[in-house]
Amino acid sequence: MGSPVLSLNNVQFTLQGNAGPVPILKGISLNVEAGESIGLTGPSGSGKSSLLMLMGGLESVTGGSITALGQDLTKMNEDALARFRRNNMGVVFQSFHLIPTMTALENVATPLELAGDRDAFKKAKAELEAVGLKDRADHYPAQLSGGEQQRVALARAAAPRPKILLADEPTGNLDTSTGESIMDLLFNLRDRHGATLILVTHAPELAARCDRTLELRDGAIA
Amino acid sequence: MSLGYSATIARRELRGGLNGFRIFLLCLLLGVAAIAGIGTVRSAIDAGLASEAASLLGGDAEMNFTHRKASVDERAWIEANSVANSEILTFRSMLQAGPESAPTPGLSQVKAIDENYPLFGEVTLVPAMPLQAALAVQNGTPGVVLHPALIERMEVEIGDTIRMGSQNFELRAAILSEPDGSLSDIGLGPRTIVHTEALTSSGLLGAGTLFEAKYRLRLPVNADVTALAADALADFESSGMRWLDRRNGAPGISTAVDRLSSFLVLVGLAGMAVGGVGVSAAVRAYLARKVNTIATLKSLGASRGTIFTTYLMQIGALALLGIALGLLLGGGLPAALIPLLQDQLPIPIESGLYPQPLFEAALYGLLTALIFSIWPLARAVDISPAGLFRESSGNASRLPRWPYLVLVLALTAALIALAALFSGVPTLTLWSAAGILAALVTLALAAMLTKALARRLARSALMQGRPALRLALGAIGGPSSEAASVVLSLGLGLTVLAAIGQIDSNMRATITQQLPARAPAFFVMDIQQNQIDPFTEAMVADAAVVKVESTPMLRGIITKINGVDAKEAVGNHWVVNGDRGITYSATVPQNSSVSEGEWWPEDYNGPPIMSFSEEEAAEIGLKIGDEITVNILGRDLTATISNLRALEFSDMSLNFVMVWSPNALSGAPHTFLSTVYAEAEGEGRLLSTMAREFPNITAVPVRDAVTHISGILGSLSSAIRWGAGATLLTGFVVLVGAAAAGAEARVFEAAILKTLGATRRRILLSFALRAFFLGAAAGFVALVAGSAAAWAVMHFVMETEFALNWGAAIAIISGGALANLLASLAFAWRPLATKPAQILRNQV
Repeated sequence: MGSPVLSLNNVQFTLQGNAGPVPILKGISLNVEAGESIGLTGPSGSGKSSLLMLMGGLESVTGGSITALGQDLTKMNEDALARFRRNNMGVVFQSFHLIPTMTALENVATPLELAGDRDAFKKAKAELEAVGLKDRADHYPAQLSGGEQQRVALARAAAPRPKILLADEPTGNLDTSTGESIMDLLFNLRDRHGATLILVTHAPELAARCDRTLELRDGAIA
Repeated sequence: MSLGYSATIARRELRGGLNGFRIFLLCLLLGVAAIAGIGTVRSAIDAGLASEAASLLGGDAEMNFTHRKASVDERAWIEANSVANSEILTFRSMLQAGPESAPTPGLSQVKAIDENYPLFGEVTLVPAMPLQAALAVQNGTPGVVLHPALIERMEVEIGDTIRMGSQNFELRAAILSEPDGSLSDIGLGPRTIVHTEALTSSGLLGAGTLFEAKYRLRLPVNADVTALAADALADFESSGMRWLDRRNGAPGISTAVDRLSSFLVLVGLAGMAVGGVGVSAAVRAYLARKVNTIATLKSLGASRGTIFTTYLMQIGALALLGIALGLLLGGGLPAALIPLLQDQLPIPIESGLYPQPLFEAALYGLLTALIFSIWPLARAVDISPAGLFRESSGNASRLPRWPYLVLVLALTAALIALAALFSGVPTLTLWSAAGILAALVTLALAAMLTKALARRLARSALMQGRPALRLALGAIGGPSSEAASVVLSLGLGLTVLAAIGQIDSNMRATITQQLPARAPAFFVMDIQQNQIDPFTEAMVADAAVVKVESTPMLRGIITKINGVDAKEAVGNHWVVNGDRGITYSATVPQNSSVSEGEWWPEDYNGPPIMSFSEEEAAEIGLKIGDEITVNILGRDLTATISNLRALEFSDMSLNFVMVWSPNALSGAPHTFLSTVYAEAEGEGRLLSTMAREFPNITAVPVRDAVTHISGILGSLSSAIRWGAGATLLTGFVVLVGAAAAGAEARVFEAAILKTLGATRRRILLSFALRAFFLGAAAGFVALVAGSAAAWAVMHFVMETEFALNWGAAIAIISGGALANLLASLAFAWRPLATKPAQILRNQV
């Protein structure tokens, strides 16, 4: 085995609440190997999503360190983190989080453009086709169903061929059958591109599709 | 459900505070305050003019004669009806510094007074001394007092000798203020005051000199001014007497103030319309937040009417608060500031609270709030509960139902009708309202066009690989775009400003830039009949003189047309309003051509006939064969119109509305008027020659006249610019409102972009580009609309050419871009500073 793609060392995360500090994560240590898929499960409030955000550099740790692809994320400023994500990570959210003022195609092309890819739109078109939305390329998010929006979000996350895919309950806002097709697409993309996948989910059966499952309880790995 | 229930829900909803209504309140506050402020200042000036009328006029009443003093009968009437009276002669003259020093002639507006002047108030001099003492003869030399500007221009000091005509005076003091000075005789040249007796040997008041005689009357305490006016007019109006009294002591200023403030109120209404855009946006944003509440109320059985009333009550309550604050500011600020500024103002202003302008402003504010709130409200209550739950903007493009449309139209009509009624200039108001509506429609269309263009550009291959630019254009062209509110709010104020800027620069260009090529150097007046030949010779002898044109000059008032009183016959046209220059000529004068009828033979010796200007004849309905009676030097002379002439004014040469056959006027005492064309470098020398050799004549340098007119234009346009500034300020508030309303969306957008790998610099650049493009688009549309309006004014009203002033144009576009950039960047910090997880975690 080579060096881990993601390495968490005694990660702590505390939020400041009205009644004082609220510890969310209490010393998580974890190594994730390249190409591995990990299902993060646990009850609401256990810290799954926070852990995912920290892995993506979308939130700052209050203790410990996170190394991704050999770089210490906790020592980077916000712009360096943005550049790191641009080159190495794709994120999918439960609420899709498409930019409402952009069409589906523009949403998918944006991370490619930000990375300076000259063929951004060509690749974005191909990615949309891969998720079955070729005909909806010019539609705005408000004109798409929830399932379609999540497929656009998947295409957007996968388009730059990230080494790490982070998915935060990607089927949480969808019905069962749509959710299943989204999961199929997600694993399909991951298999095709060989990315490392971290999947946050409430559903044990979805987590079971991953190589490894970790359960979080009260901010610690159970 | 009852009205009471609506009120209960409205009250509960308002418990949430004013959050989201700050822009609504600020828009109404500014609009109402601007109109209330303008109205309050206008009322304060009117009150000041009324209370100081006698002092401003210089008497309880004034009888005014052109070119002549009062006749024996007229003097007798004045003596019989006044407890005291004063004779004042005013005319223009050239003053020269004493014979020893190098002559520096100064053109002045001279006031020659008697021992009773002033009947009211006093003239303040520096050094302080009584006026009569300052003008008294000392060591054989009478005194003179001059306006400080004249002292400075002529480079003289107290004690120096000043020559006027052929009379020497000693300069005794500078004039600090005259009780009747600020409102009358505003014309070319600063003031000089001398005693009339001192002018006896000056040669300045010879026959045909252009002077005006004013007789100020102090009336008995219980005098019936109305009856006296009627009596005087009945006896003397036909002989050219004009009457003013304390009821309308400063008609010129009063009219000017009324017109300017009416115009400013109209500009204020444009500001109100901009505020309306902000009101509408605030109501829409508020209702968008209330979508769930409205849907729930509907699900629970609340009718459309109940919901409409509920939210209208809330908006009404907030509108009343905004209006009250606006009235407090607009009415209170002038009341507080006027006493502090009174001493520096040239006209009397009586500070106070004036209910009428406040009522007027409150009505405008209420109607604006209703007009701009009903539209979004009607649309919100029309959406089905399911639709409301599903998508708040799903029916965004739908029109409200017809009863609401009718209500909005009726309220708009009421607003325009009230503005027409209150402004006192209904035609101008209707045109302005049409202009504002047309501008709003044009701007709305331009906003749609901007969106479509931005959308197209964002998708073009040109933008690929330029994410910041594409993001900016995508946001302008995409859903929830701020294009409409930005272009409308910023565009209207900038349109007014662009129009004023272009009109102002074109007017100035017309006056000044054409001068060096064609305009004369001097208009020379009061040349006596025995001076015309030596004067012409002296001028022609100077190498700088290109040509000299002279024409006989008399002045007279048209008193009758076809035997009927002139004003009754044609109304208040300027041709019959005051005295006019008249000339006679055997041949068709230069710069004119006969357009109808025949010119008279050179040796014509029949009954008096005249030629009339074609344009003015058409305006007042005169035709060949009509009889015109003119009072010249107290005598009525009648002539028949034998032909009409087309006049050419573009080269600033002199033209006369009436040219008589020589046999009718050549025997009457008159002077000559000359136009001297000369090279610019010789003008100073020529002025000195004229002042030295022909001391009684008055030369008006055209450059001075141009400076004077430019100054008036400058004052006018700055007053209007202040009005437009208020509109722009409201527009800026609306912009800030739009930026604040869009702040949440931008925070979210920034969070996603950061997740996708965008740096803060790139995100800021995208936000800045978006604001810049939208602002510049608003500026561009405003420039096109404003320039079109300016072109129309120059082409149709001024009948001159229009040229775009690029400096002003660029200022408008960059001003628009900058304003929107500032408003937008004020809200850019939070999106850039917030960690993505904090936003994306909460967005479910």
